[in-house]
Amino acid sequence: MRGIRDWAPEFDEYRRDESRTMGEASSISFPTDEAELRAVLAELERTAPDAPITVQGARTGLAAGAVPHGGHVLNLSRMNRYLGLRRDEGGAFHLRVQPGVVLAELRRLLAAKALPQAGWDAASLAALDALYGGPAQFFPTDPTETSACVGGMAACNASGARSYRYGPMRPHVSALRVVLADGDVLDLRRGEHRAHGRTLELVTEGGRALALDVPGYTMPRTKNASGYYAEDDMDAVDLFIGSDGTLGIISELELVLSPEPCVTWGINCFFASEAAALDFVSAARPRLSCAAALEYFDGSALGILRSARSGCAAFVSLPAVPESFAACVFVELECDDEGRAYDELECTGELMRSVGGSEKDSWVARTDVDRERQRLFRHAVPESVNMLIDRRRRTAPAITKLGSDMSVPDERLHDVVALYRRTLAEAGLESATWGHIGNNHLHVNVLPRDERDYAAGKELFRSWAREVTAMGGAVSAEHGVGKIKRDFLLAMYGSDAIDEMARLKVALDPRGRLGRGNLFDEARLDAAVAAMRKGE
Amino acid sequence: MSGLTIDADACVGCGRCVRACGSAGVVVEGERGARRARVTDGCILCGACVDACPVDAISIERAAGDAALIDLSAHRDIWVFAQTDAEDRVLDVAFELLGRARELADERGCALVALLAEGAGDPGASSARQLVAAGADTVLRCRDERFSSRDAGVFAEWVCALVRERKPETVLFGATVFGRELAPAVAVRLQTGLTADCTVLAIDPETGLLQQTRPAFGGNLMATIVCPRRRPQMATVRPGVFAAPAPDPSRAGEVVDVELDCGAAPRMRVLSVAGSAAGDSIATAEVLVVAGRGIGSKKRLPLVRELAEALGAQVGCTRPLVEAGWLEGWQQVGQTGVSVAPRVLLSLGVSGAIQHVAGISGAQTVIAVNDDPAAPIFASAQYKVVGDCVSFAEELLELLRA
Amino acid sequence: MRIVVCVKAVPGSTEVKMDPKTNTIVRDGGAAVINPFDAAALEIALRIKDKLAIEGEPCRVTVLSMGIPATESLLRDCVARGADAALLLSDRAFAGADTLATTYALSCGIARLEEPDLVLCGKMAVDGDTAQIGPELAGSLGVPCAAGVAALDAVGLRAVTVEREVDGGMATVEVPLPAVLTVAKDAAQLRFASIAGIRAAEGARVDVLTASACGADAARTGLAGSPTQVVRSFVPERIERGVTIEGDAAAQARAVAELLEAMA
Repeated sequence: MRGIRDWAPEFDEYRRDESRTMGEASSISFPTDEAELRAVLAELERTAPDAPITVQGARTGLAAGAVPHGGHVLNLSRMNRYLGLRRDEGGAFHLRVQPGVVLAELRRLLAAKALPQAGWDAASLAALDALYGGPAQFFPTDPTETSACVGGMAACNASGARSYRYGPMRPHVSALRVVLADGDVLDLRRGEHRAHGRTLELVTEGGRALALDVPGYTMPRTKNASGYYAEDDMDAVDLFIGSDGTLGIISELELVLSPEPCVTWGINCFFASEAAALDFVSAARPRLSCAAALEYFDGSALGILRSARSGCAAFVSLPAVPESFAACVFVELECDDEGRAYDELECTGELMRSVGGSEKDSWVARTDVDRERQRLFRHAVPESVNMLIDRRRRTAPAITKLGSDMSVPDERLHDVVALYRRTLAEAGLESATWGHIGNNHLHVNVLPRDERDYAAGKELFRSWAREVTAMGGAVSAEHGVGKIKRDFLLAMYGSDAIDEMARLKVALDPRGRLGRGNLFDEARLDAAVAAMRKGE
Repeated sequence: MSGLTIDADACVGCGRCVRACGSAGVVVEGERGARRARVTDGCILCGACVDACPVDAISIERAAGDAALIDLSAHRDIWVFAQTDAEDRVLDVAFELLGRARELADERGCALVALLAEGAGDPGASSARQLVAAGADTVLRCRDERFSSRDAGVFAEWVCALVRERKPETVLFGATVFGRELAPAVAVRLQTGLTADCTVLAIDPETGLLQQTRPAFGGNLMATIVCPRRRPQMATVRPGVFAAPAPDPSRAGEVVDVELDCGAAPRMRVLSVAGSAAGDSIATAEVLVVAGRGIGSKKRLPLVRELAEALGAQVGCTRPLVEAGWLEGWQQVGQTGVSVAPRVLLSLGVSGAIQHVAGISGAQTVIAVNDDPAAPIFASAQYKVVGDCVSFAEELLELLRA
Repeated sequence: MRIVVCVKAVPGSTEVKMDPKTNTIVRDGGAAVINPFDAAALEIALRIKDKLAIEGEPCRVTVLSMGIPATESLLRDCVARGADAALLLSDRAFAGADTLATTYALSCGIARLEEPDLVLCGKMAVDGDTAQIGPELAGSLGVPCAAGVAALDAVGLRAVTVEREVDGGMATVEVPLPAVLTVAKDAAQLRFASIAGIRAAEGARVDVLTASACGADAARTGLAGSPTQVVRSFVPERIERGVTIEGDAAAQARAVAELLEAMA
């Protein structure tokens, strides 16, 4: 299983990811550690030096970043060991893992205090004793899909509901080992390798010196997973996080754990109109200091859930959502004690009243059973929409759900929702909207009824990419750009900036093999490769 | 004074009792090296700490004054309530109980009595004879139309009157839906102890004390229970726990017809009865066949269905099969589908994605078939069959049909 | 209509493991929760109340529990979800109660309330699994008991019609009031508390009564009033995990067929 295997039908599932697009490849490997990974690269260098290499984790991505583009599939799902633990001077715990570790398992093992410790050194074991002896710790990044692996989460700078409080994956990664296309390795610890201005100098373990030009664009001041991270004096770790598998292969990462909150209460706040819900969010942001998440579900999403509830056994345990509820904002409170949580709860009620709502129209979860039901509710919304699309695909096989992933600054929330509503109505498209409203980051999902709707929806997204950029927003806030949002990235940063990104890429990957098709179209990438060769 | 006692000399202050306690009923305190457990006002005498203590320092003491409230020696014999169905046929569980009770009665050297309540159906019914053939020395039979109501209150009045008059030492019921309703109704009227859902019964031949072992905490814990101070001692036993004896038609026994008190009357009115329908839920299926992508093709679905039918099972599947449109969403087993808890789960060609495995954690026995010996599903299976699931299913179906 | 719902605080998890080092039982149940069956019973009561409210009939739902003082917060949570009143029976004298002594304590508590038309219990508790409290309580109150109620079809002031489990299927039964119903876990999902409900419950009174305050005879409560006693607890041995069934498909099928037969 460890070497390179020729493609066979049994590997067909590795041709796709959750974006539901399919690619092609001629070989695949499943290394279990960094040495095997490097051996695969060396073997490819010998047998297929120009073959594209697509890195895969759990294939839960929505932007086709892990869908192969010919050549070789480097699947890291079997690199899933826990390597060690350290505690820094500030008392924070850093867990060293391989990239294939699955988030759900990581959470479970942390909660159960059952991290596998085979092969750990004495320092790690001592840190583990301290971890288990102290207050409970958790890993805060929470994409909805918990079967994601941490390597993939770092590669696309994943986030989730709690990113409202904790930010995306980026700040929770303190170190990376990155295997470059030629098999050489960068060992990066946060704080140790910073750029000077926009020039980043790194030395590989093989002793090669790299001078990298960080692109000169200014990133939007919103939640963002679009293109390379670029900032003056930036940390080298941040360059690789969110690079969509195009710069190097993450072979190890160190995750920063956070203390688990003492009290977590969830509140579904229902409103009679979308306007009231938006007003509530704007009012809640400065007032609710313990909010860890602010999530949104629009009337159409609630309606689809309502009809799914009657038809699907998995959803019957969901409470009925009355017809009068036209919008929902889910608030998650994380507090140090119940008294504080109660104060915030009262404040939430007050805020509901202030926008014309009633605090009776709320579901509060203070027990595990209720929290689990709220979680089911949040998952059931996208799930029921997927079921609806699956039904439509039987008559129109070419369509898929079209989900947007754009964010804007706080003050543009009302504007962007007005834009969505106006243009969706003009185009006559069905939609269901939910997502991370606290970060002004809504997933507007166009639900095509036929191929024409599908095309119209794609066109609409392109126009939104321009408008959202004009508002100072990001075209991909969390899913990454992958293969399916390249056009949006172009709309957001412009052609010159993309060329800068491509130059940075070929500086690390001179033949443009890694994550081919991600971020850049082939022509642009090949041009950068050719320019690089000429320069040599 | 009864209560929780902690032997301070034996206690090592490990704190396991504190963690086991759900009601803050025990604390560990004292200087390092001399830490000891101490019981607090929160103690509800549940016994969790007794079980958790590694040095047997904790025990529940009962006051000496708790002597038997009745004359235990006035009670003798073992009774079995022989439940019948709507057509007055004796249920299998009654025969199973008689089989085990016969052994217990022989150990104790007492008689075995079966209680038979018939709703005045066929006067020539042979149920009483069958009970004798299964081991009963005496059958107390009552034929009364009021029993056809299946009202547990009526049955309880009848059983209690007989118990008061004849004073059995032990009364056993099948832990059927009806038995689990009737037995407590009898126990409370007689103010005696009742142990539900026993899986093991043993008897002290000298005293007749019945050792009743039953599962608790959803089967995660077994407890052995006795009823030392009241009689009769009562238990319900799950169907299928004991084997029914082969009937011995030559056995001799008497059938005594008894009356039902004229005051007893059904209070609930049965409007309709529906047999258990399979329904569209796999959540409650007793036996489940789950198909995964390993079945290879939609054409194999009939095979899966036939196999399920032969096993009396429902069909579930993994997410890819729903996505492919082969099966319906309500059949999807897993975190985003349905969580299932069957007695037996036969998993065919399922690789065992985490979402799926999370949904089958309630299954009692998982038999997994997959051609990949490294498939994650095997970590959740009690029985591993490495091989092609389709040929396996074909072979199994053939055997089941034979 | 007056409804009493009996609820029990149970461990959040019923997971039980064996500590291999000491060979003792580890029960780390976490925070106490309302027994899920009782939660379903409370929801059924609240639905009756909602239904009667539409018809203009007054209905009062009281939750009743025997438990430690900390159970008060669970009862307050029941009030936040819509119960009108809460009564907690809490006393060392109740400790160690088996089902008979628990039934007695609950019947003493019920005697302190205005005579209820309906007493609802969960069919069983997830920690005890006995399913005895409901039928014993009915016997002690001298009223009929419909056990294992899966759905409520009709509510009248003199009788209720319910669907309940019986051997071999379901039966629709008319139960005259007063009566005890025991409720299956899947019969209903307990509603969420609203912010308004939680705020109201903060100020609500939870009555707490000792054994003597509810007029209980000490000889019939707790350990002293319990005819049964546990003499031993142990974790059952599981089937050895991961037995590999060898052979070709035919041999494997034969082995599994035998296995299935043994388990049938």
